[in-house]
This record gives sequence, C-alpha cells and structure tokens, in this order.
Amino acid sequence: MTPEVAAPAVVEPERALAERVLAGDELAFRQLYRRHTPRLFQLVLRLVGGREADAEDAVQDTWLKASERLGTFRWECAFGTWLCAIGLNVVREQARRRSRRPEVDWPENHDPPQAAPLDRVDPVDLERAVSALPAGYRTVLVLHDVEGYTHEEIGTALGIAPGTSKSQLFWARQAVRAALGSRQKGSPA
Amino acid sequence: MTDPHDELTPAERQAFQALPLEAEPPKGLEDRTVALLQARGVLAVPLRPVGTVPRRWQPAWLVGALAASVALFASGFASGQYLGARSATIAAAVGLGGSIAERTQHVQRTGSDYVAALAALSQERDTSDIAGRQQATQTALSALGAAAQEVARLVPDDPLAAAVLRGLTERRRAAQPPAAQRAVVWY
Repeated sequence: MTPEVAAPAVVEPERALAERVLAGDELAFRQLYRRHTPRLFQLVLRLVGGREADAEDAVQDTWLKASERLGTFRWECAFGTWLCAIGLNVVREQARRRSRRPEVDWPENHDPPQAAPLDRVDPVDLERAVSALPAGYRTVLVLHDVEGYTHEEIGTALGIAPGTSKSQLFWARQAVRAALGSRQKGSPA
Repeated sequence: MTDPHDELTPAERQAFQALPLEAEPPKGLEDRTVALLQARGVLAVPLRPVGTVPRRWQPAWLVGALAASVALFASGFASGQYLGARSATIAAAVGLGGSIAERTQHVQRTGSDYVAALAALSQERDTSDIAGRQQATQTALSALGAAAQEVARLVPDDPLAAAVLRGLTERRRAAQPPAAQRAVVWY
C-alpha cells in the first residue's frame, strides 16, 4: 500500500529531507521521490528510446544509487541535477551491459543522413524520431536540445570532449531532420 | 563533416521546447523502490503501515495477542519436548539444507529452547542488578521481534505477527532516548 504523504504547509528543504532519509525515514524518501521522479522518469525514458520497462529499471537503480551516496552529496548543485546525472550514468551502464558497441558510434555500414533544416515540426513526430536515434546520438541530442546542457557539461557527464559532443549533436540533428523530412514527404500537406 | 554553426530553426527549437520535461512514473514503482531500499537497510522497515494512525493499546487486543503468543510458544515447547525424545539422528538432519518439514521441526525445537531460556530468566530473584535485568528484557524482546518479523515475512498478512510487531514498535518508541544516545539492539 502506498502511504499518503500529506502535503506540508511549508515545503521542507531538500537537504532536511535528505538528512531524514539518511536516518532511514521512509516518508522523507517518498517526498523526495515524488518531487523528483517525474523529471527523472521523463529524462531516462527519452534516453532509453521510449522503452518504459528499461526506464522503470533505470529510475529504480538511480534512486538506489542516490540513496546509497546521499551522505557524500556535497550540495554544490541542485539535488535534481545530481539525481539526473546519476540517472544518466545508470542508463549508460544499462546500455553497456546490453551491448559492447561504444554507444557514441554511428552503427557500422550506415551513412549519416543529410537533411535540410525544417520549417515545420510536429512534436509527436519529433519524439518518435529522437527515439529512433542510435543511443549515443540520442543522449547528446536529448541533453543539449531538450535538457539544455552545454557541450562542456555534456563532455563532463559523458567523458567525451566538447568537440565530440558537438559533432554527435550535428549528426543527431541531421538524422532527426531526415526522419522528419521523409515523414513530411510521405504525408499529405 | 560537421557544421560547427549548425543551429536549430525556430520551428525546430519550438518543437523541442514543446516536448514535456516530466512524465508520470508507473504506478507501483515508488513502493517497489521503497521496498528495495528497506531490504538493503537504507530505509527503516516500518512495523506498521506508514501514514496510518497509531493504534492505542487496547486491553482486549493485548490479552489476545499475549495469549496467542503464549500458545504459539507452548506448542513449540511441547513439540520440542517431543522431538527431543526422538533420536539424535533426526535432530542432526535438521538444518538449512533440510526439507520444509525438517525446518519446521527446527523452528519448534529452537522455539522451545527460547521459551526455556526465558523461563530460566524469569526465575531469577536477584532484583539488585537493574542493568542486567533491562538487558535481559531487551534481549528477550529483540528475539521476539526478530521472530515476529520472520513470521511476517513468511506470511505477510498474518495478524498475530503484525500485532506483536506493532506492540514492540510502540514500546520502543515510548522508551526511545534522544537520537544521539540511541543504541539499537536488534537482529
């Protein structure tokens, strides 16, 4: 049974909640969970290409890791940012476990598509096109164009050079444009 | 070849901005995550459902719970006596690798040992050793709580195990010292 966590009259600071979690307080954990999981879930769902079961596993692993490392969190960034960074690493670990192929490589024997920028984009089609990208390209594109990370931040998070992030983003956008362009050509104007 | 000045068109940028940044997580994921954290010892295991109003000690409930506890241990004691009279070969076979029946017999036998040890404690007439008596009480209750937890794990809906755990929780909360001085005796 999921207990009802009463909405507090004053929102408890996250640091205080985290300290209660460190003391084993379930209600404090549930408050933190409900505050941050919608954002985390959407991020990892996108990173895993829309596979809900994988996203669910990633969210659970992320909270396990975050709870275990909470005592070492130095509060130099927002809790949500820290949590999403853990989520990102969890998704990458999952991908590594499933495939030995480096996740930033374009699939072998596959020429990156060429496409012109678009003047009309349907967000539903866009979501679908992002999901269809190779994992590494999808990660960079989601972090940059959806989440608003800089190339330096992406480089730090993924352990790649900012220049690599830029080129990954370029090819990712090209692939998305190609997918959306072909969809638009195939549909009535 | 890449274009370092590649920019999104306004329409593309608008479409990216229109993508939701939050999504409703699947139902049940929160509870599963909490259960995992409890299993790993990160979160405390609640001895009554979190968020419910604590029940007061009710005499009828208390008497019932105690009577049931006594009956439980008495049956274990009797069974243990019976088993003790049987051959040592059977007793030696009882262990982690045995069948369910053998493990059940093991529970009965060790349950009777527990009751016998408690009986020996209760016959102690020396009232001067207050710390010793407190330690004995704590140890006895800890064993009772640990046993009730295992029963609850075996049969999650068992009302007797839940009642024992609730009672012990209320007792522990009432006697809890400030956090800095707390010394948990539990296993």
